[in-house]
Amino acid sequence: MTYRWILPMALLLCVSTTALSVNYDLLRSQLRSSNSACQKLLRQLNGAPQRCPEDTMNFQVPEEIEQAQQFQKEDAALVIYEMLQHTLRIFRRNFASTGWNETIVENLLVKVHLQMDRLETNLEEIMEEESSTWGNTTILRLKKYYGRIVQYLKAKKYSHCAWTVVQAEMLRSLAFLNGLIDYLQN
Amino acid sequence: MLLSQNALAIRPLNLYPVVYISLLFGILHAVSVSPDESCISFNLTLRNFRLILSWELKNRSIVPTHYALSYTIMSRPAGEMIVEDCINITRSFCDLTDEWDSMTETYVTTVVGIRGNTTLVSCWDRVFPALDTSLEPPEFEIVGFTNHINVIVEFPPVIPKMLVMKNLQTQLSLIIEEKSGSIVKLHRPKIDGNTTGNFTYVIDKLIPNTEYCVSVYLEPKEAEKIRRSPLKCTLLQPGQESAAVFTSTIITLRRIGYICLRNNYPKVLNFRNQSAWVFPELPPLEAVALVEIIHINRKKKVWDYTYDDESDSDNEAVPRASAGGYTMHGLTGLCPASTSSASSEDCFDPDPEEPSLPQPGAESEPLMAPGPGPWQSECTDGAYERTRNLLQDPFPEEDSCSTEGTEDRIIFNVDLNSVCVSTLDDDDPEVPPVLSCIPEETVDLEDAEEMETSLLVAGGEGMQLPFPSPPVECLWPEDAPSEKSDTAESDVDIGDGYIMR
Repeated sequence: MTYRWILPMALLLCVSTTALSVNYDLLRSQLRSSNSACQKLLRQLNGAPQRCPEDTMNFQVPEEIEQAQQFQKEDAALVIYEMLQHTLRIFRRNFASTGWNETIVENLLVKVHLQMDRLETNLEEIMEEESSTWGNTTILRLKKYYGRIVQYLKAKKYSHCAWTVVQAEMLRSLAFLNGLIDYLQN
Repeated sequence: MLLSQNALAIRPLNLYPVVYISLLFGILHAVSVSPDESCISFNLTLRNFRLILSWELKNRSIVPTHYALSYTIMSRPAGEMIVEDCINITRSFCDLTDEWDSMTETYVTTVVGIRGNTTLVSCWDRVFPALDTSLEPPEFEIVGFTNHINVIVEFPPVIPKMLVMKNLQTQLSLIIEEKSGSIVKLHRPKIDGNTTGNFTYVIDKLIPNTEYCVSVYLEPKEAEKIRRSPLKCTLLQPGQESAAVFTSTIITLRRIGYICLRNNYPKVLNFRNQSAWVFPELPPLEAVALVEIIHINRKKKVWDYTYDDESDSDNEAVPRASAGGYTMHGLTGLCPASTSSASSEDCFDPDPEEPSLPQPGAESEPLMAPGPGPWQSECTDGAYERTRNLLQDPFPEEDSCSTEGTEDRIIFNVDLNSVCVSTLDDDDPEVPPVLSCIPEETVDLEDAEEMETSLLVAGGEGMQLPFPSPPVECLWPEDAPSEKSDTAESDVDIGDGYIMR
């Protein structure tokens, strides 16, 4: 008699746990949609049709990002958040020499911010669930990677050609991010 | 932003010179812009898993005769790469499947337009395949069964390196769309760098007797535009699977020779080596009448040139006069109206035969066993054989015209056009003429001493074989009047005693 309440309670706990846990499928769908929109906006930033003679630069993206190695979904979420954060910081810098449409840039920043907000609500729970040792190394490499991009811009004094190179590299970075989003599955 | 921030610090009176100088600088800057401006529009298409870059000059008045294609990769400072397969080409497209290896790179592509030895134009543009590629749907086929559909998608022998990452994951996803009425289901079969050739995906748990339509397309990670293939539909029918399995089993067994569907036709029917097919004229349909041959053993009577009345007998058949001294054989026709197509005019008076048999004393000697008689010498050699063949019955079942056979009686169906018979009624024009000889191919007869019926089959199954031209007169030897007779009718003198065709 006294054990009748155990089964309903157990069921309630399971349901609540499932409801409160990270819904990675929904998160994946949302991030994929937002990221695709970001890429299209970035592609629209053509500016002046000027061809730069030295418009090539290898910023040495981390190999685990470029090769899309197997990620745990928690690690993938952390890496994605880090990449979005750096993207936001770069496009808040001086792009006046590019002739880009500012409205497009603003829309780009809004969408990046939206992705970060979606991840933040899940990252707290992810950080509580387990601590990842792998993510620290990759995040460190990511910081260096984006640091090289900022240094390039500064060295080229935020010239139009420099921004053209950075624009291409950011397109590439968002494409890598799409591969990481695929790992966000229940 | 900097200008806007500093604008407030500038006094209005100093604004006008600053604006004037800025405008002047801008105009000068615009004049000194590089001449290599983007004057071309590229179109990148993945068609049958081949990456095709086509282009079109924005200024259509410029019409080069030849083109040359080159590119640089913005993240790889390796200099400009020249596409060797696209140098001095007349076409305005280039296959870059084996040239570009990454969808996430930005390719600064240059096309030089040439006419003769003169460079007409040099145009460039940035191409980002991940967003700029138009994915055409792959080729596929569907095979419908009772409750499932096999979707067979054609992949190339090798997937282009651009589409495969180093972990063998593909940059594309294969989507199979299943439609039934208003219900649409998406299937995402997993593909990777090892997916080659015909890729089969099974859509199962379908409802029989329902039409399903299938469409296939490729979906990039950066989904821009999806190009669906035309729908292919099939109606699932019950038994389709078993029929398909049965058919494929039969085909397989036949191919391996387990089922050897061969007909051992006689050589005479082998027309393969003949350059022309000979279609002889078919003889007109001939009436077939049932006749009963009453075989009666008689002593051969020799007319002693006396006219003795005592020798007359009602039961004795009047020997028929013949010029050649032979005895005619008369046949009695049994003509039940229900079975025989022959008319009553086809009935003949039976006339026993005696000396035609090689053993005159035998009571039950069938017609098949006669030895060569004097009359047969008049026929061709084949006539005797044909006669023998006549008397064998390939159809052991009883003929409805005659159901009894006695020792002295042989009942068989005779094609009156193939034997020499005497007609009871000469005046009846509907009596079909008879052949003098029996065709050789008519029937393969058995030895039928106890046979009740023999059928003279012209080729069997209603088929009429070509009959030889009536060459020979088979002269039936005259016979003495029979002791038995099915009918009391007297014999009919038909002149010379023969009817020939």
